[in-house]
Amino acid sequence: MANVDLEQRDLQAAATSHRGDRVFNRAITAAAFVSLIVLAGIAIFLGAQAVPVFQQLGFGFVTSTAWDLNSDPISVGIFGMLYGSVLLAIVGLVIAVPASLLLSIFIVFIAPKKLASILTNSVDLMAAIPSVILGLWAFYILNPQAAEWQSLLHDYLGWIPFFQNESGNFLGTPFIAGFILAIMIIPITTSVTREVLGRTPPELINAAESLGCSLWTMLRYVALPYGRGGIVGGIMLGLGRALGETIAVFFVLKLVYDTNWYHVIESGGGSVATLIVSRFGEASGPFEVQLLLAAGFFLFLMTLGVNMLANLIVSRTGRLKK
Amino acid sequence: MTTTFDPASLPSLEQQTKTRPWRQRTTKFDVSVAIAVAVPMMIVIGMFLFSDIPGALVLVIYLPLQMFASGCAAVATKGKRGILDSVIIVNAVGASIFTFVIIFSVLWSLVSKGLKALSIPFLTQNSTYISPSTPLEYGGMAHAALGTLIVVAISALIAVPIGIATAIYITEVRGKAVPYVRFFVQSMSGVPSVVAGLFILTTLILTGAINTSAFAGGLAYAVLMLPTVARTAEEVLRLVPDDLRTGALALGSTRARTVLQVVLPAAKTGIVTAIILGIARVIGETAPLLMTSGKNDATVANPFSDPISTLPVSIFENVAQPYPDAVTRAWGAALILMVLVAILFTVARLLGRNKIK
Repeated sequence: MANVDLEQRDLQAAATSHRGDRVFNRAITAAAFVSLIVLAGIAIFLGAQAVPVFQQLGFGFVTSTAWDLNSDPISVGIFGMLYGSVLLAIVGLVIAVPASLLLSIFIVFIAPKKLASILTNSVDLMAAIPSVILGLWAFYILNPQAAEWQSLLHDYLGWIPFFQNESGNFLGTPFIAGFILAIMIIPITTSVTREVLGRTPPELINAAESLGCSLWTMLRYVALPYGRGGIVGGIMLGLGRALGETIAVFFVLKLVYDTNWYHVIESGGGSVATLIVSRFGEASGPFEVQLLLAAGFFLFLMTLGVNMLANLIVSRTGRLKK
Repeated sequence: MTTTFDPASLPSLEQQTKTRPWRQRTTKFDVSVAIAVAVPMMIVIGMFLFSDIPGALVLVIYLPLQMFASGCAAVATKGKRGILDSVIIVNAVGASIFTFVIIFSVLWSLVSKGLKALSIPFLTQNSTYISPSTPLEYGGMAHAALGTLIVVAISALIAVPIGIATAIYITEVRGKAVPYVRFFVQSMSGVPSVVAGLFILTTLILTGAINTSAFAGGLAYAVLMLPTVARTAEEVLRLVPDDLRTGALALGSTRARTVLQVVLPAAKTGIVTAIILGIARVIGETAPLLMTSGKNDATVANPFSDPISTLPVSIFENVAQPYPDAVTRAWGAALILMVLVAILFTVARLLGRNKIK
């Protein structure tokens, strides 16, 4: 890549020689750091709101589960919500990861070209549906269907702890919310996985197949190991999306201020983002708004951590390939 | 007589890799596959029509039945090692059908329920004097559609120049901080929409700097739009051949002129695609607008003074109302929103296609 080095040196020499260029460079560089400023601004301003909350409530704010501002002293904690966000994301991933892996395997290795491009476009279309529309659809169309599936799960697999339901109410469950999250995760994970699997060198695939590998052995020993990093990163990006999703979950999940540990088909669950939206409209005063801002701070930290990790993994596998 | 080896008589290497003799299918294979698909299908249709097993359960039975049948076909044609292949193929087809069903269901319900709400007043009136129980003939979503357009326009005015400048920094200026800038842009694309709303709320609205208004909503949208524009524009600028840059510089053009008069015009359609994808990313976001632009039944044109209704917020307000007409309004607003998104994506696709040619 000596060519590029030479050109870069030339560009830099040209850049410093002209006054207009110096102004241009500075303006562009300043704009490039807006993303950093916004990220830092979110951390600082929401963090500043979290400080007084912590001074008053201590670590109980993140380790206890309650939302009662009328008691004295007030008892407020978002552990159930933080845990609920993770539980919903796990349910979403359990549905979405196999589906998107199979989808991308189908698109890359099995489907005829025409069907593959139709499927690719459909998955992109799925990503384009706004979450508020998915929520509307889930509330009126998916809910009755999902209630039926869940009652079947309860009838036939009720002996598994996850599928217990004592209330007989199958609406507003983490399962339905997780299902909606899965519909949002599938396009993200599929597009990354498809790209990564599509980059498997055809020589390797042809060599494996001509040596007598079946589709499964080829996937197991060639394609999947080759794209492993990208697949993991794609799943993490989906996870980040699932943790931050608000409105669609708000429509289908019955928010309860208890920790629903693992009863995925029992009505009631938690989610930080949904807590913020549902309490914001009826907040009793500036202090409750401050509590919600503090909750938002933890949501931000959680999603930022997951996303940074995901991007590191994806970019690292990209680098290895070059 | 000597035979000479003539390389030209061989099929080219490319053709050789395309033939892949180990993939040729026999009639036996085709027949087994046809039987393996037809038999479970007939059993399931029979169960559906002639037994009282619930429909959902029949679907649950179908998948393992199909896997079993395909497994048998695999053993018949390829031996034991074909079993896992058949399982993968059946499930992959199943996942594709699942995707199609979901998309079809969403679009069909949007069209069938949304069309009931569409009428001339629905598209031209606002919701002043309209309560959830008012019949459908009165009131409409024009104010919300206008609000969405205003908020999106403001966010585009803010996010597009910054996003493109970020992309120029990465591909043209190539400063020392490029890896860090890319990392921050990628991290920013993961900021949850509700957090973007809280950010604008706590920094600008609660401090009294600006009102709950279209401008505040536009700022929150800009936070979400910036990374999408920056990442797409970066990919587009990378496609501009380096010859153009070096050519312009060799002719004595300055850096700024090279970028503004050569590189950006060369990537014009791609830049438009980046803008459109950025708009499409934010146009349906609801949570940030609940906190920053609020709602208003009247038509508002001033982006700085008053709260303003938008399509996503109008959907949010009308869902789960006990009045069927309010719910129909929500479907109608959702249909308008989806049509806007579809137009944006179609235009982006068409532009993208031209770029490749």
